[in-house]
Amino acid sequence: MDWQRLLVSYFVGFVLLNVLLGLMAYMTWFERRVLARMQHRVGPNRTGPFGLLQPIADGIKLLAKEDIVPANADRLVFLVAPLLSFALAPLGAAVIPFGETLHLFGLEIPLLVADINVAVLYVLALGSIGVYGIILGGYASGNRYSLLGALRSTAQVISYELVLGLSLVGVFILAGSLSLQDILREQQRALVIGPLTLPNWYILSQPLAFALFLIAAVAETNRAPFDLPEAETELVAGYFTEYSGFRFSFYFLAEYINMIVVSLLAATLFLGGIDGPFVDGVWWLALKALFFLFFYVWLRATLPRFRYDQLMGLAWKVLLPLALLNIGLTGLVRLWGIGAL
Amino acid sequence: MSLQVLIFSLLACVSILGALGVVIARNPVHSAIGLVLSFLNVAAIYLIARAEFLAVVQVIVYAGAVIVLVVFVTMLVHPDDLPEFHGRRPLRVATGLVLGVALLLEVAAAILTRSLYGAPGPWTDQTIAAVGGNTRALGQTLYSDYMLAIQLTALLLLAATIGAIVLARPEAVSERVAAARRTLTISLAHPRGLDQPELPPALPLPPDGQVKPAGGGRPIVLARSASEFTEQPAWGEWRTP
Repeated sequence: MDWQRLLVSYFVGFVLLNVLLGLMAYMTWFERRVLARMQHRVGPNRTGPFGLLQPIADGIKLLAKEDIVPANADRLVFLVAPLLSFALAPLGAAVIPFGETLHLFGLEIPLLVADINVAVLYVLALGSIGVYGIILGGYASGNRYSLLGALRSTAQVISYELVLGLSLVGVFILAGSLSLQDILREQQRALVIGPLTLPNWYILSQPLAFALFLIAAVAETNRAPFDLPEAETELVAGYFTEYSGFRFSFYFLAEYINMIVVSLLAATLFLGGIDGPFVDGVWWLALKALFFLFFYVWLRATLPRFRYDQLMGLAWKVLLPLALLNIGLTGLVRLWGIGAL
Repeated sequence: MSLQVLIFSLLACVSILGALGVVIARNPVHSAIGLVLSFLNVAAIYLIARAEFLAVVQVIVYAGAVIVLVVFVTMLVHPDDLPEFHGRRPLRVATGLVLGVALLLEVAAAILTRSLYGAPGPWTDQTIAAVGGNTRALGQTLYSDYMLAIQLTALLLLAATIGAIVLARPEAVSERVAAARRTLTISLAHPRGLDQPELPPALPLPPDGQVKPAGGGRPIVLARSASEFTEQPAWGEWRTP
């Protein structure tokens, strides 16, 4: 029986990984099309209908390119670092619940890969390991611009990881659990305010935490306007300057997968995940995540890049105190308003 | 059960290999990578023991903190200095060996005499399930029985944070720089008049000025004010007066 559950879990994980990789490829297409539309351009439209075959063409092109290793690179580390980034990125999706347990052919198929009771902390831990791909890549390139980009990225990710973690504490206090399934279950209840009956989504009870999470998540995934580590204009690209061919694309693919995972996480933590009007299901989760992905592209098209001191000042002087304030307020509400657990 | 033992042995072996790598690797960044590898495998061993919270915290706190080590190494250790990092200093090697063997003996003694085992605590599988899981049981214990320890730790960390802020305060730094300016100006530029013959030779080297070689043979010139220097940088074309 245990073997059976393990196999089912592996199968769900396999399907999820492949869906994620496919989505990632089309996320690049989506970003280029939306960005082009916002900038009054056309975007990729030649390869296939609406340019839909463009990601495949890109993949073939990158695979066919030469894989160059600089002469003064730390060879083994240089070769492994992008793989580390890429391999860690999809692991976060393993804890996201995609729906209720299915019953097929007498088998119980839970629509999530691993039900860990510290799921959110697990995602944060993955983030803290993911930085290694960047800093080791920058160090191993034997190039000062790469190293500078990597150091920037490290400082940025460490700072914003703090904000990301602290912004979630309010949600933990309200839900009384670190498990995503429990957090989802809490959100499926109804929130009654006078004559209004609203879903108990945490975006309503934790709006400050939601805003903090959103900002920190953009910084954590190194996306505009916090894309300092890959500032083309100052750093000749940043930590991946020396990378070429498919190793170069590994970093980008990892970034896109991270965006998808963070969007799924935000939808699950704050917008009720699979919960929605009419019929609950994975489509609501997909719709909400798609909104966040669009938001990412929207930000990139709209905002200029932060200066480095502004970036660090924002994290430490604005977001961190706000996150602590939110924790204090939520704790008081928990203690006096809804009562202790 | 046997599968668990197999996985445990694998993780333990990789963990020990990583720890060996920390000691053996000649490049400090490789040492740091070995350390992370070792920590991650220990976290996986916690997972096998169903201590999920401990495993995740191990990754966040320990494996995440090694990144700072990597940053320090890349910032502070020049690649040319790397062979010196390990050096052939017999006294140090001997001290390390003695301390390592002593630690190993201590751990072995503790395990063999079973002094690590106390009386069984109140938590059994049933009580943990009744509370609602490992993590919740841990949290309740920490925040009731060990409240004082938690608060003391928090106080200690707060003190460390305040200390760091005070040290890094911009006023403190700028005051020190201003104080240094009042006495001496340190510059890597030429003293005025050495390579500009058209200027009046009114300013020779300051009476108490020194020209001394610093790292890489680059001279450091001390003078009383910045106006005694030209704008021209000194590297590459220094001439002694």
